[in-house]
Amino acid sequence: MRKPLAIGLLLTLTITAGCGVEVRRPTGGGAPGENVRLAVVPKAIGFDFWEQVRVGAECAASKHPEVTMHWDGVTSEDDVSGQQSLLQDLLAQGVDGLVYAATDAQALSNVSSTAVEQGTTVVNIDSGTTPQPKNVPVYATDNVAAAERGTDLLARQLGGKGKVAFVEFQPGTSTNDTRGEGFERGLAKHPGLKLVARQSSESDYNTALQVTQDILTANPDLDGIYAGNEPSMLGAAEAVRQAGKAGKIKIVGWDTAEGQIDALREGVVSGLIAQNPFAMGYQGVQATVDKIRGRGEQRATDTGATIITKDNLDDPDVRKLLNPSCADPPR
Amino acid sequence: MTDQRTARGVSDRMAGAISQVAAAGALIVVFVVLSIVAPSFLTADNLFNLGSQTSVNAVMAVGVTLVIITGGIDLSVGSVAALSGVIGVMLMAEYGFDPTLAIIGGILVGAVAGLVNGLLVSVVGLPPFIATLGMLSVARGLVLIATGAVAVFGAPDSFRLLGQGVIGGFPIPVLLIVLVAVGGYVVLTRTKLGRYSYVMGSNMEAARLSGVPVRSYTTAVYVLSGALAGLGGMIAASRINSGQPNFGEGLELDVIAAVVIGGASLFGGRGTVLGSLIGAFLVAVIRNGAVQLNIGTFYQNVLIGVIIWIAVWWDRYQRRKLSGDTG
Repeated sequence: MRKPLAIGLLLTLTITAGCGVEVRRPTGGGAPGENVRLAVVPKAIGFDFWEQVRVGAECAASKHPEVTMHWDGVTSEDDVSGQQSLLQDLLAQGVDGLVYAATDAQALSNVSSTAVEQGTTVVNIDSGTTPQPKNVPVYATDNVAAAERGTDLLARQLGGKGKVAFVEFQPGTSTNDTRGEGFERGLAKHPGLKLVARQSSESDYNTALQVTQDILTANPDLDGIYAGNEPSMLGAAEAVRQAGKAGKIKIVGWDTAEGQIDALREGVVSGLIAQNPFAMGYQGVQATVDKIRGRGEQRATDTGATIITKDNLDDPDVRKLLNPSCADPPR
Repeated sequence: MTDQRTARGVSDRMAGAISQVAAAGALIVVFVVLSIVAPSFLTADNLFNLGSQTSVNAVMAVGVTLVIITGGIDLSVGSVAALSGVIGVMLMAEYGFDPTLAIIGGILVGAVAGLVNGLLVSVVGLPPFIATLGMLSVARGLVLIATGAVAVFGAPDSFRLLGQGVIGGFPIPVLLIVLVAVGGYVVLTRTKLGRYSYVMGSNMEAARLSGVPVRSYTTAVYVLSGALAGLGGMIAASRINSGQPNFGEGLELDVIAAVVIGGASLFGGRGTVLGSLIGAFLVAVIRNGAVQLNIGTFYQNVLIGVIIWIAVWWDRYQRRKLSGDTG
């Protein structure tokens, strides 16, 4: 029943959007009580991670009755030009505030500066731009620091020595590369760890499975895997499971999708680096509203990362982080 | 007139055979080189993996071969595979279907998408490129609507058999390649559908004038391509026991590359199942070997692109040479 309803709703929304003939004000919404229109654009719609960003963003928006929030995005995190067009469309529609996660740091820098010039308030979440306009704060995870902590965990679990592989996801993107940078810093601290393979999953579960199978074939004595995101880790875990090496090969990686948490309980995966997507969404929207209202000062903020293992998986704080809700938000 | 056409048919077939031999030669060379430089390449485990990894592309390539022989193209196979995969898994996870029925359901979803493609081409008269480009987008959109863009888990463990099982020492996905290849071969060489496909691809107007029911055969070819994309999608879903909404983005290009490397002509009239399989394996072996040698994805992509150029250049070179010789 849910799905036909959702489709109906979608159609209605599309039609409404298509027929919307109201005259849009280019700027405004500054005075209290006036309606504020925000657009929140993740790197891509779908994926547990962005859904949790959405929960946080909607939570913040719901605290301000006069704020209406529009959530939209492209369907693939590497669709840079698609996101650029979407952002330009939203700006042309005259939103008051734009909260977005940049799919490409350099390509989207212009969008931010143009938006700021025309008086739109812009806030980045998860990924900012290069250069980052001075008055566009970023609410994101410090990927380098968190990756280093993840690598420390892997080193500890391997007793400080062993052969490791890195399954990355989109070489060249800032998220991928900062997670790689933190990993390399970690490796430098633990000289007993030897990097024998570095391959990309292209953020695809099947590809991650294939490359990990091939890495295992070439390195039958592999001890550990560091995975850069959700599909990379799911594929790596599946390959290790199918090779009958579950638990023998330690896997530490990013994100906390349901399948990853199941794999952690099962013992195939030994550590997760959890970001706080709820906080990104919440703080991003809150900062935008504050800025439009002229309240307080907004500056770049590390939304934090938590290392999750089997031991702390059921801690109340971790549960809240993994299943964020507006009623009981994570810290 | 008849003599000329026969001559063209013969030279076409020879050119096809030559590109197949070239692709097979390339495959053997890459295979031998990898066996020497990557000690783990020629191991039972790796060949097992390689076969399973190729299955998705190979099965889909057989369907696309049929379409390309008729002078068409199917750009929608990646999206259609994703649609079949997520709906197949949803049938099991949310509606309690038995895996066998769900697999059939996934294949039917693909066949329906193929039917729409076929009708758009044959009845509405859209160019195949446009019809299937539209389907690429429509099917992906339907995947995202059906799943909310979130992966579907919860299929029973027995569903893993399709993509991970073994019968008599052979991986089931490899047996499926054999089954589909034999089926495709029989269709192409022993049925009206296959023979008319070559005729339609060589000269659609002539085929129509000589009484070939062009519309129904064209439609049938797209239905088969859709159904095989559906099967490919179900194998991929089974390999990871879940339906991934972003599966298969860009996969159509790998599949078409396999078919073209295998000697099919994008202008129609030429192509074989064996050639496309060789093409699919060549692409898969290069990727597999590159990972084992720890060569980055960027270089793998360059390598595969260069191989496509060489394959098509060789193809055209041979055709020109042959037409020069016979004409």
